[in-house]
Amino acid sequence: MNSIILRTEIQERISEIGAADILVGIPSFNNARTIGHVVKAVQAGFVKYFPDKKCVLVNSDGGSTDGTIGIVQDTAIDDSSSILFYHRKGPIFKISTPYHGIPGKGSAFRTIFQIAEALNVKACAVVDSDLRSITPEWIELLIKPVIHDEFDYVAPLYHRHKYDGTITNSIVYPLTRALYGKRVRQPIGGDFGFSGRLARFYLTKDVWGTDVAKYGIDIWMTTVAIANGFKVCQAFLGAKIHDPKDPGADLSAMLYQVVSSAFGLMDLYSGMWMSVTNSEPVPTFGFQYAVGLEPVAVNVERMIERFSLGVRELMDIWKEILPGEVVEYLRGMGEKPTDSFHLPDGIWVEIIYSFARAFHRQMINEEHLLKSLTPLYIGRTASFVKETWESGASEVEEKIEGLCGMFEEKKSFIVEKWDT
Amino acid sequence: MEIIRHIIIEPFEGLYAKILSFLPNFLASVLIFAVGIVLAVVFRALFFRIFRALGMDRFFERTGTVELLKKGGLGDSVAALLSKLLGWGILIVFVVIAMRTLEIPTVERLLERFLLYFPNIFVAAVIALFGYLAGNFLGRAALIASVNAGIRISGTIGKFVKYTVFVLAGTMTLEQLGIGRDTVIVAFALVFGGVVLALAIAFGLAGRDVAKEYLERKLKGEEGKDEISHL
Repeated sequence: MNSIILRTEIQERISEIGAADILVGIPSFNNARTIGHVVKAVQAGFVKYFPDKKCVLVNSDGGSTDGTIGIVQDTAIDDSSSILFYHRKGPIFKISTPYHGIPGKGSAFRTIFQIAEALNVKACAVVDSDLRSITPEWIELLIKPVIHDEFDYVAPLYHRHKYDGTITNSIVYPLTRALYGKRVRQPIGGDFGFSGRLARFYLTKDVWGTDVAKYGIDIWMTTVAIANGFKVCQAFLGAKIHDPKDPGADLSAMLYQVVSSAFGLMDLYSGMWMSVTNSEPVPTFGFQYAVGLEPVAVNVERMIERFSLGVRELMDIWKEILPGEVVEYLRGMGEKPTDSFHLPDGIWVEIIYSFARAFHRQMINEEHLLKSLTPLYIGRTASFVKETWESGASEVEEKIEGLCGMFEEKKSFIVEKWDT
Repeated sequence: MEIIRHIIIEPFEGLYAKILSFLPNFLASVLIFAVGIVLAVVFRALFFRIFRALGMDRFFERTGTVELLKKGGLGDSVAALLSKLLGWGILIVFVVIAMRTLEIPTVERLLERFLLYFPNIFVAAVIALFGYLAGNFLGRAALIASVNAGIRISGTIGKFVKYTVFVLAGTMTLEQLGIGRDTVIVAFALVFGGVVLALAIAFGLAGRDVAKEYLERKLKGEEGKDEISHL
């Protein structure tokens, strides 16, 4: 058994706490620069919005060497009187522990779920440890729909830069929406609220040795909640500003983990999504407002070069997977100059559905298949950047809605070809 | 008359006697061979049905073996291929029994040598097959990884990895078969060492500026120019 609950010091801490109402988990790995702010915001959220509830903050750490755990333990709200009207009746409990299992966010979440189960909490939330824009209101927005409105899953809704979250915008959101029929705008947002009941349900699944234990955890949580009929909503949290990701982080590994989790879930829930024919909005909490976002530097030419390199070298693999007309289109685009480069919605949707089918049919090695998607994804992102260079946030959102419409329109493509 | 009897008739009589004594063995041998053919055909069909029922084709399709076999020009399904191999195995066993039934000393000696050598052929075939599969797999992995890293000579890298594994597997196969044992190993070491040395010199001399530029870009962080956050 790989349960963190068996660790003596955690068991003692849990016995000391007994039971709790609310738990907020923060997964971390070398986040000493930002985690102090996140811990303060969570504590302020507990004090300000849940003064009568027994609250626990859990930091599940992946073996940080920069003093992250120490910062979590030492951080407290310096001057609560300046931001709070209420005084708490009880203390805020903290548990800071290294997690077990495959290194990754999913393993960190598993530890949080296990502690939530042991404490029999009513509502939980998880927030990223690299957030710079988190405020105490995030805790209220992620927890209250669970406590007061009996929702089981609260997905985040942010204002993000138009080129922030491109895997979400071009693959995960449109695909999840078309398949499962719920318009959850940030299915892999990273900050979620959920009920104790759902946390216990997550623990019944044996997925902790797969990519779900890494970057795949977010899409897994969202899909499992939707596909199993849990009550889902979203909460507007404002802007999402986080520490820049490690520039050395491998895009193809990230894409592989997220997409393999999404495609794996398609296999698991094929009986459910095949019968879904349209999508519907989910209830949204929070007051929506526009926010200013920092500009993002993009090198479109280099992205198109990467795409063209893929067309030259990986066409033999793609030919096995993609329809003939898509192959011909990609071949043509590989030779076009940057100015006329364009990868339209229809082609992109057929690419994603064809890769999903190839994954399901296990046509080639899973890792080879999904890593060969990287140049196509980069090409699609380059095309999107070109099309929206002059566009404002609302126009970009319309463009993404158009792509979602195309995913829904062409859903018969994947339904018909799934088992052929 | 006596001379004619000694020179012509007696040898023929001897030959006739030998043929008479050999004929039962020969007929038994032919019969065993015929039974072997029938059993091989029957068991091939039987194994094919069993493998199909066990879902063997689907299993090997998942592992990517079917794709690699197709690439290698083998259009048969894995179930058909394996049942054919087993059919041939049965036939070979019956051929060996049939040949031993002939009781010809030379044939028996040849058979003995062949049977002693047979495990080498089997192991060599396994090495060759594994080398072929591993070469294709690793070559494709290297190709995809280098394309994703933006390396322009990705195709060459993929082929280099693939053929290196092929050559290594080929060398091991020949060594297993005992063909030019030392010569093959020395030749492989010389060729492989030579290729590596040539590449090192080529990079050292011709690619000095490219390497310098690449390292500078890496160290100065210009590679991470894009600020797109994908997740």
